[in-house]
Amino acid sequence: MLQHIVPASGLLFTLQNILWINIGVFIGAVFAAIPGLTVILCVILFLPVTYSMSAIPGMMFLLGIYCAGGYGGSVSAILINTPGTPHAAATMLDGHPLSKMGRTKAALKIALYASTFGGIFSALALLFLGPQVAKLAAQLGTAECFMVCVFGLTIIAGVSGKSMVRGIIAACLGLLISCIGSDPMTSYDRFTFGINRLYLGLDLAVCLIGLFALVEIVSRAEQKPGELHMDTAKMHDNGVITKDEYKRLARPTILGSLIGVMVGIIPGTGASEASWFSYSQAKNMSRHKEEFGKGSVEGIAAAESANNAVTGATLIPLLTLGIPGDGTVAIMLSALMINGLNPGLSLFTTQGDIMYAIMLGLILVNLFMLIQGKLLTPIFAKVVSIPQEILTPIIVIFCFAGAYSVNKNYFDVGVALVFCVLAWVLRKLDMPPVPILLGLVLGKMTETNFRRALLISDGSPKIFFSSVYCWIFIGLIVLAVGTILRGKLKDRKAAAAKEET
Amino acid sequence: MKDKLGKLCDQMRQKELRIPVDLTVGVVFFLVGLAVMLLMPSQVAISERDVVNGRAFPELLMTLMMICCAALVAKEIVKLVRKQPLEYKTVNLLVEVKALIILAILVITYILCRTTDLFVVGAVFCALAFLIYFRCKKPLYYVITVGLAVGIWAAFRFLLNVRF
Repeated sequence: MLQHIVPASGLLFTLQNILWINIGVFIGAVFAAIPGLTVILCVILFLPVTYSMSAIPGMMFLLGIYCAGGYGGSVSAILINTPGTPHAAATMLDGHPLSKMGRTKAALKIALYASTFGGIFSALALLFLGPQVAKLAAQLGTAECFMVCVFGLTIIAGVSGKSMVRGIIAACLGLLISCIGSDPMTSYDRFTFGINRLYLGLDLAVCLIGLFALVEIVSRAEQKPGELHMDTAKMHDNGVITKDEYKRLARPTILGSLIGVMVGIIPGTGASEASWFSYSQAKNMSRHKEEFGKGSVEGIAAAESANNAVTGATLIPLLTLGIPGDGTVAIMLSALMINGLNPGLSLFTTQGDIMYAIMLGLILVNLFMLIQGKLLTPIFAKVVSIPQEILTPIIVIFCFAGAYSVNKNYFDVGVALVFCVLAWVLRKLDMPPVPILLGLVLGKMTETNFRRALLISDGSPKIFFSSVYCWIFIGLIVLAVGTILRGKLKDRKAAAAKEET
Repeated sequence: MKDKLGKLCDQMRQKELRIPVDLTVGVVFFLVGLAVMLLMPSQVAISERDVVNGRAFPELLMTLMMICCAALVAKEIVKLVRKQPLEYKTVNLLVEVKALIILAILVITYILCRTTDLFVVGAVFCALAFLIYFRCKKPLYYVITVGLAVGIWAAFRFLLNVRF
């Protein structure tokens, strides 16, 4: 590891990288602070910008958005009792009450400190655990790699929506869409319907603009006029956190960071699960349980440290196995692959300097998030109240400009619109979009490994049951499916019991 | 005119459509899977010499999809036979009409951009159309939004060198 640190530092500490980190952090915090605009939406919108960059500045920019998004969501949760992002919902429980008690600045400060601690803790976990997991991943052959993809897809399909079967159907749809274009092994065209532009396949960023960004605009139809404007809390306090409060913050922050890392490593889970789990654990362990829900500083710290501790941990399965921990990092995988960085041990050996620069950069991202948070929080707070009338067309214009700029043609804008309609129909049918995203991202990798494995075995499917690792992944898939189904059955029973009462 | 529109909106707001989600998903995606399977020979060329050809993976996916769909439909039929409640999704007519209006704005913006080959024309139309959709009466918002629309075009055109 040490032999990579020095050259990696040289690659990382450039003016260009520092600039992109700060731009990313600012954009991420602003986007996440606005209710209705999610981090994933922000990453999708700005993904085309990274196409012209090399790996390190591109990833630094996206990681800046990703990490600052974790903190930005808490700004609106604290100020207007509306989480800017879903994972800030737990922060809202105590953040807004504390703000109402006249301690808005203090609440924002606690959220910022806890987020930074969680983020750095997570970045260190990535730095130390990542290479070890990659060594393990190096022992996997094509059949095992296929099983890893199936494992990732199964978990995401299982946890993304209300129904696991609908999730699997969505994943199949995503994988099928990834088949459009030339065959990765024979170069014959597939599902192009005579349209030449489809020969190179559909660009991921274009599909995602339709699936996640434009559909959010169409969903404004569900918004009532009264929801367009929000009053923000005033920041009149001096933001002082007492010594006693700092002492109380230590335990939930460390606990939240640990929970965030553990949850983040598991594909399919995300910041929301981590923050709620951490919040409930902190409440159970606290000596001031009665304060939870009424403005507890511990509650804010537990939720915020956990949701930011997920950021680095989700990169562990991504960089080592190619399995994205959540939807946002799935998009980052495409940014990596564009630069010829394919997940696995080779990434840590042949491209070790770049990899370590990215991992060290994550620590830097969190430090700049702290600095920007301290200096610019009043701006983030003002952004919360930008009217939807102005915001909506601006997002559309960004989406169209982004889709166009990928290949410099309007065909892609049309494709984004088609995906928007598809996403709207799927939304009406309660079909989760995240498995489609994962299918799109993992499609080529899954198919190539599947076909290579069958080629090696001369067409015999026995190869997928031939090694210990295959059986381990089969066991993990069965275990995951069983756990997810059990959880869903429990939820249904609880809902039925609630209805009866 | 305003009253008539208000009445029409009220009428639409009250009209709701209940979709049996699993049954619809099952039937729709089974048909999608079937259509892809039928299209496969004309859309995916293969060589006789290939041990594993380009159809293998899509065929596997569509088979899995159709099995899942069949399972969903079977589950719903069992529920119907046992007279158990199905899972429904309520769709409001007013919301859908509004969604169609937004979609129309997006499509017109796209057509304007494409036909004029001037992105800024579509961007300005988009800004104005959404402000009208939200029934915005503040002139300042119109100035800000149109200004931002032109600004974004200029940023992409002159800073990022995207020629549109």
